[in-house]
Formats: sequence, C-alpha cells, structure tokens
Amino acid sequence: MCFLTDLFNMANQPLPLSKETLAQFNHSLATEPGASGPLRRRVGSISTRRSSKDQATHRPLHLRGVTGPSSDSSFLSPNVTNSHVSIGKRFSFGGWQQGGRVSFSGLYLHQPIQEIHMENTYRMGPEPGSHFNASRTQQILKATLDSYLDGVCYNPENSSQLCQMLADLVLSKLKDDNPPRYKLVCQVVVGQSSKQGIRIASRSLINSDTDSYTSADFQNHSVFAVAIVHGVYCE
Amino acid sequence: MDEYQTAEETTFVVDEITTIIKETVESTIGNSSYQHNRINQWTSSIVESSLSQLTKLGKPFKYIVTCIIMQKNGAGLHTASSCFWDNTTDGSCTLRWENKTMYCIVSVLGLAI
Repeated sequence: MCFLTDLFNMANQPLPLSKETLAQFNHSLATEPGASGPLRRRVGSISTRRSSKDQATHRPLHLRGVTGPSSDSSFLSPNVTNSHVSIGKRFSFGGWQQGGRVSFSGLYLHQPIQEIHMENTYRMGPEPGSHFNASRTQQILKATLDSYLDGVCYNPENSSQLCQMLADLVLSKLKDDNPPRYKLVCQVVVGQSSKQGIRIASRSLINSDTDSYTSADFQNHSVFAVAIVHGVYCE
Repeated sequence: MDEYQTAEETTFVVDEITTIIKETVESTIGNSSYQHNRINQWTSSIVESSLSQLTKLGKPFKYIVTCIIMQKNGAGLHTASSCFWDNTTDGSCTLRWENKTMYCIVSVLGLAI
C-alpha cells in the first residue's frame, strides 16, 4: 500500500522520474514475484491500462526495460507520456486509474491534442490611456477614403471589389493603431451618386465605458462612400 | 474551468437572428412606399426594435445593428464589412429586403463577451 503511495508521489514528478518508476516496477516484478502477490495484481491492473492491445508482448517489454532502461521502445514511450498527461491533471488515486483508462484504452501512438487554456488576467477594463480613440480613428478613416476614392467613377463591375478592398484596407490601417484587447468591426457602404435618397442608421448594444464607434463619409460626382468602425473591448 | 453555459447559448446562431430581423423589417416598412420625411423614423425604429429583440435572446453578446434604406432609382449600392475578432465565437448576418420602391439592408454583428 505504501509502495503504491510512493509510486503516486513519484509519478507526480516530471517525466524522467516516471521512467525510473516504471523501471522500479519492472524490477520488483522481475525480482520478487512471490512477495508482491496483491501488489502484482495492482501492477498487473496498471499494465493492462497502459496497453490495451497486446498483453502478450507487454511482459517481454517490461523485462527489457529492466536490462536497458535507456532503450525505451516507441511502444512504451507513449504509455509513459500518456501517464504523465493524466497525472498532470492531479486526480485522486482512484481517479488517476480512471484517467489512465481513458487515455490508454485506445493506445494512441501519437500524443492526444491538448487544449490550450489561457490564463485569467483578472482585468475588467482597458488600461487607462489605451481606450479606443474615436477621433484618431476618424482621421484615419477620412484620410483613407479621400486618398482611395479621389477621382474614382462608379463602375458596377468592380465596385463590389472596391468596397471589399476598402473595408480590408481600413481594417489593416486600424490594426496598427489598435489598443490591445480591442475587437474591430468595420463596415463600408459604396454607392452610385444619383438622385436617390438613402439613409444609413446604426445602433449597438455595447459597453459605453470601454467601447465606441466612429464614421466617415466621402462623396464626389459619381460615387459616395460611408465607413463605420466600432471598437469593442474584449473582456 | 466549468462551462456555465451550453454551447448553444454562447454561439452566434444566424438563422434565428435572420428570422427576428425579417419580422422587424416587415412590421416596420412592410407595406410602405419610400417617403423621404419618414425614413428617419423607419431606420431608427428598425434598428431599435431589432436590438431589443436581440437582447431578449439573453445571450452573452454585444450587438451592432446597421440598417440601410435606399430608394429604388436605378443606382447601384455595395456594402462590405471586415472585422478583427475571434472567428470561433463572433459572427454576423445580413438581411436584404426589398419592395417596389426601396431596398433595405440590415446587418447584425455579434461579438462574444
């Protein structure tokens, strides 16, 4: 019982030591068959979890482990690394065995993909001084529209491309200037300047302390353009 | 970390939102012709009622709703949007509606909190 507790403690340590643990197990298995009756049952139960496929070939691999601990076969190494993964999750001892069952039963020959979990920054709002700057954004918007659309005539074939390109261009210019943790939404409307009436309205459900929007427009004899940019803080 | 909300409640569901917006537009300008003096009121009404319907969904999203109403005069119109956001959680949907005298384009963008 205490041997297994030691195993658990040792198993919590980094990878090289768990190999030692495995070697120690193998050694005990090889040298003391009689004394470790209940122990062998437990060890045997662990070994089945580690290799669900070939029980027959598992024992010779263990013995090989005793003589040459450096010669870890590829068959063994995923078991070792898998056990490290499940131990890293800090289950209770009973839970560890269960966790082992889950990882080992399929006997993946490659590492299972681990999800990346971001650390909590405990930050509720943007830092003072790095809010979304509406006036600067508007200047950038106006300058971009003026420089890009100056002298352009409305052309039904390429106007949709022009519109998309403008949206991407504005976004790339704003990304350089963007304060951290802000999401940007940019909408561009381009239309033919004829005698029609048009009205563009926008309303948003945002946090007025941290989020803002700005817009700019351009008009010449044949084309008009309106660009709206919202900056939304990502909590 | 435990998930306090199901995946359904934290994703942007386009179909549901399209239905909501369509109902809003039809109830506001469904049977009307383009009138310059009422257009202000129409766009505000569409946008406000869409937003209130969206908040009633109770999802953890910030919304941006844009409405364009244009008179049908033979002129061309193009809209585009580009967004710097998280593709896995945020989404957008656009509804195009028209009748004999005007076009109405409503776009809704949802950004996850």
